[in-house]
Amino acid sequence: MSQLAASCHRPATLPGAEPRLLLIGNPNVGKSLLFGCLTKRYVTVSNYPGTTVEITSARATIAGESRLVIDTPGTNGLVPQSDDERVARDILLSSPGADVMQVGDMSNIRRTLLLSLQIAEHEMPFTLCLNMSDEAKQRDAEVDPVALAAAIGIPVVATSALRRWNLERLKREAIRPARSRISAEYPAAIEEAIAEILEVLDGSPDLATRGIALSILSGDETLKRFLPEESLDEFDAIRERAQARVTQPLSWTIVNARLNAVDRILGRAAVVQSLPRSSFREWFGALTMHPVWGWPFLLGVLYIAWLFVGKFGAGIVVNFVENTIFQQHVNVWTIKLVDFVARFPHQHPAVGGVIGAAYVGAAHLSTAQQFARFFHDLLVGPYGVVTMALTYAIAIVLPVVITFFTFFGVLEDSGYLPRLAVMLNRLFRRMGLNGKAVLPMVLGLGCDTMATLTTRILETKKEMVIVTLLLALGVPCSAQLGVIMAMLGPLGIGLASVWVGVTVGTIFLVGWLAAKLVPGKAGDFILEIPPIRTPKLSNILIKVLARTEWYLKEAVPLFVVGTLLLYLLDFLHLLTKLQRLLAPIVVGGLGLPAQASNAFLIGFLRRDYGAAGLYAMQKAGALNPVQTVVALTVITLFIPCVANFLVMLKERGTKTGLAIAGFIFVYSFGIGWLMNFAFHLVHMA
Amino acid sequence: MIHPPGDEILEQLWYAKEEGRKVTAIASLRLNGESEHAAGDLITQKLIHTGETIELLPEGEERARGIVRRHRLAEILFAQVLEVDAHEAERSACELEHMLSERVVDRVCTFLGHPPNCPHGKPIPPGSCCRIYTRQVEPLITRLVDLPLGATGTVVFIAPRSVQRLNRLAAFGVVPGSEVRLIERRPSVVLACGQTSIAIEDEIGREIYVRPVA
Repeated sequence: MSQLAASCHRPATLPGAEPRLLLIGNPNVGKSLLFGCLTKRYVTVSNYPGTTVEITSARATIAGESRLVIDTPGTNGLVPQSDDERVARDILLSSPGADVMQVGDMSNIRRTLLLSLQIAEHEMPFTLCLNMSDEAKQRDAEVDPVALAAAIGIPVVATSALRRWNLERLKREAIRPARSRISAEYPAAIEEAIAEILEVLDGSPDLATRGIALSILSGDETLKRFLPEESLDEFDAIRERAQARVTQPLSWTIVNARLNAVDRILGRAAVVQSLPRSSFREWFGALTMHPVWGWPFLLGVLYIAWLFVGKFGAGIVVNFVENTIFQQHVNVWTIKLVDFVARFPHQHPAVGGVIGAAYVGAAHLSTAQQFARFFHDLLVGPYGVVTMALTYAIAIVLPVVITFFTFFGVLEDSGYLPRLAVMLNRLFRRMGLNGKAVLPMVLGLGCDTMATLTTRILETKKEMVIVTLLLALGVPCSAQLGVIMAMLGPLGIGLASVWVGVTVGTIFLVGWLAAKLVPGKAGDFILEIPPIRTPKLSNILIKVLARTEWYLKEAVPLFVVGTLLLYLLDFLHLLTKLQRLLAPIVVGGLGLPAQASNAFLIGFLRRDYGAAGLYAMQKAGALNPVQTVVALTVITLFIPCVANFLVMLKERGTKTGLAIAGFIFVYSFGIGWLMNFAFHLVHMA
Repeated sequence: MIHPPGDEILEQLWYAKEEGRKVTAIASLRLNGESEHAAGDLITQKLIHTGETIELLPEGEERARGIVRRHRLAEILFAQVLEVDAHEAERSACELEHMLSERVVDRVCTFLGHPPNCPHGKPIPPGSCCRIYTRQVEPLITRLVDLPLGATGTVVFIAPRSVQRLNRLAAFGVVPGSEVRLIERRPSVVLACGQTSIAIEDEIGREIYVRPVA
């Protein structure tokens, strides 16, 4: 055990000694929802495989006993085919003695049992939870848990986590479950090889299971670090000898034997599940990925997104919150309050009857007055925490984050995203990717940092690098998107399409080039398409709430830090020096006013904040339409936020991460320069 | 290639009868040189009868039937399952028609789902294996992507380019013997296996061979 824990870095962060309850199962069966029900802790729940790519754990009392409940990424088997599957398998291997609860989709009993069989072969005691039983009923795919329990020898509980049905029963069965004796019949060559491997593994009782032996025979590379190094060559030899005795590839022979065993179990339990009946849902699901109708449907979805997030969120709500709530009330009161506390001779001129952050004051102040002014400016000056950071974060960005996540939540829970992957697979092929990469890319519109983590669902390193690059370069996150929409509004369709064209063009161009330059190849497009489901309002609300909370915790502090930085630079008179230093690039290259340097400076912290700075300049009339488009494009393609940068370094390694950041920096300014140049040519012509 | 020279004559006589042509002289058949001399042997073996026209005698007809059956089944095997180009398929079929045992032919026929017609639409003489399944005359092994949309098929075999593909398909339950339904061909191939829908690469859709289920 100690050896296992030491060699496995991820689970090492979990508290070690506590008894564990491990949720494991196929993708998209409701593990995370169940986790939430068991622990009362929220983790993101959606209707597509790959929502969970990390391990989440929480303490809970299950049937009177304390357990560390662990949610794992979905996996189709215990021989991992991708990083997220490996995460799930690793945690299982490094939790000997844990109570395992396999969660399965009742409608998909064959795949569920294929995994059960492997857990049994790993000699882990477990309970089987057949979730989504309500949906199975609807789809005519019900399974009798009693008959199945008799066939596999462990408790089987039918549940519906969504309706909170039968969860008490599940909790009672979850503690100290039994071991299932189900097994598959393998050809003699494989059985003999298993015996040989078990003999070699004799010294490590945690490893000496049929399951591990079969994984070794299946050629599982990711298992290597769990195995005694001196035996690796021997395992290879055993595998080669066994392979020589069977006609098909070993791994395939093993899976086939397992599926045969599953079919026998299903026969014993008298389970009959046929192909799905045709229903409205299936018809609708097919429509969304129809070769012809799928496209107008996609355009419709985009149009509704624009209406809801762009028009309503970034337009109406932002206007109301910013102009009415903040500028006429919150800021006014705060300025008055600060003026009352920190006294020094100055006056805020009222514009249209409302006072703002700008003020005129006496040139010579006493030390005490200077101190008061410092405090005053810190809170309500041009770079004040309230007048700048909070106004941007709450008034401009937050409404868009909320409307975007609401719309996105509906998309996620309906099951449309994997269908979008079907539509775009061919296009993504050109970028060295496959349709599966659509998921992290679309997720990037919510948050690039999260999306970078989701690249784990991709199979090859090449795909991961390309998606990480494209996310950081060309996919604006929800917060930034809102500001962008608000800025594009007044520009008119012509200039707005320049922005769209350059951004989308960049994704395809850079993707296409990266496909040629990054070594390796794209994996196969094999993606599970979940059924179309009616989004549940409560789940969407909870999800929006959780993501908004995350935004407030993650982004707002950085907004404040950025503002303080600007304020200090301004206070020390360094800001104008920096602006002069950057002038050749910002003024000369991009054709922007020197003040725009501020936006790019804070853009290093978060590019949405940088965009908000440009938005304020546009509103103040400091940017003409052409300058707005150039500045907007540069900040869109700019280096992502600090959080994304750090995740990039962690997931892709320091070298690749820095290379990506360096490229983005040069590319974004290069494109801005080119655009400025092109606009000038057009203007002169 | 050594094979009974008379086979060629029997085969051509079968084709002529199929097309309703009368054959008046051996020389009018499209034969290669050595076969022409075999006509005499066929007459002495009582396989053909020469009179005003040249006819197949019952025993000769039986032999011709076997040759044509082997030839046309081999064509399907090569052209449709193994995707050998048409010329090559034809040539290999010509060689195989003389050498497969009846047992092997019946196995091939069953494997292909007792196809009624060759790729050119000509009827394949049914063998004893076909008669067991009198109801099931239509099926033929096809690639998954060639199924009509919405049709169901049983996976017969998968011939993927990489073992990893086999394993990943197996994880979704797609193995020989599983029933799958073709839901969409474009923009990507989508199939249903059990209650699971899976989108797959076009190439993989061409590597899965199914027998359509009525």
